[in-house]
Amino acid sequence: MPRLVRWIWILLALHLTLGMIAYAHFQVTGRYAVLGWYFWALGSLFFLVMTAAECCLAILCRSWFDSDEPMRLAWSMIACAAMARLAGVLLRSASDGHLPWGHWHQLSQPLGGLFASLSQVGMVVGGPLSMAFLAIGLGRVLGIQRRFHLLASLTRGDKALLLMVLAFSISQISMNLPLLWNRPSLGTMLLWLSDPLLGLLLVEAILVRRSVIRMGQGLVAQCWGMFVLAIVTTSAGDAAIWASNHGLLSDSMTALSWYIWFVAAAAFASAPAYQFAAIALTREDGLDFLPRP
Amino acid sequence: MNLMDRWNPRSWGRKLPVTPGRDAAFESAPASGLDDLQTRLSHWSLLWTQGSEFASSTEAQQLVAERLARWMERCFGQHVQSSLRGEGSQISLASSTPIFTAFLGRRATRELSRRVLQDI
Repeated sequence: MPRLVRWIWILLALHLTLGMIAYAHFQVTGRYAVLGWYFWALGSLFFLVMTAAECCLAILCRSWFDSDEPMRLAWSMIACAAMARLAGVLLRSASDGHLPWGHWHQLSQPLGGLFASLSQVGMVVGGPLSMAFLAIGLGRVLGIQRRFHLLASLTRGDKALLLMVLAFSISQISMNLPLLWNRPSLGTMLLWLSDPLLGLLLVEAILVRRSVIRMGQGLVAQCWGMFVLAIVTTSAGDAAIWASNHGLLSDSMTALSWYIWFVAAAAFASAPAYQFAAIALTREDGLDFLPRP
Repeated sequence: MNLMDRWNPRSWGRKLPVTPGRDAAFESAPASGLDDLQTRLSHWSLLWTQGSEFASSTEAQQLVAERLARWMERCFGQHVQSSLRGEGSQISLASSTPIFTAFLGRRATRELSRRVLQDI
């Protein structure tokens, strides 16, 4: 495992250990005080560190491709997605009511009332906008993988999953369409795009996963494998929110499901770290895996 | 002209003095030099395009193929070679450069090729 990736997962393990202590406190006492502080302070800091790392690494990977190379666009889109996620985290932190400036931002209506709050702007930027960038980037990667015959045909399980994703996306759109009569804000309507975009990302993730299986466990394959893991965990987190909103999860299970987002953030940061490790390997001295004359 | 003069508008119109060089009389290269060059070029060409059409491969060609296979495994995975080529054909710089360039970029692939051909 490359050093950078190892650091990301060590940081996640430490963070989750602290999180489990907070969760144990919640389970024993039944109070949200410590758990709330953990997610508000340490959780926000973890997201900030991971998205900043992801952003820097994605920009670094992009810089290794010339403007006429097909992967340049893919990494540009992935870097844009990372930047949007970072901006989303910053905007949500800036509009936090617990901070001194939070109340002032909550009173103002950003962008002429198109968005309900600054937090909603952050959710749109870090959610649907980031997903759209990532979908374009992964689409480009799939095109390149197809050119090299790395895409395998879908299995029955893949097709069943694709049908489920499609059905879920259509059901979400049909549920949201009648709400248009209530004249929702632009921000609310943009947030409705989250589920269909996540569905599209899942479809792409399934196709990328097929190609990863065909390649093996190399650094570039692991890079795309990490994107698959990130998208699947994001979908799991999204499904947990949906289940919680519909009363299908108990309080303790709902609290436990929040930890999924940290795994997704670590996977998103690991993906460009793997790609960077592959590129950096070509410049390393004393490669012991190469046979000598 | 020093480095800072480059940004001085007064020096923009000035032409650099042409240093009179030695007599530029080009003589034809000796035949032995050309033969050496040709041998070297054909050697690199063989290393570059080594494939199934070359039945007997030299030790250097084997080494290039082995190094490329290790790079492929490290960067993409253990199954990628079988996915990319049919059974029997050997990996070469010519056949592997497109996939390396696509996923690692042109500059990284140049470094990789240099590593593959090092000490050969």
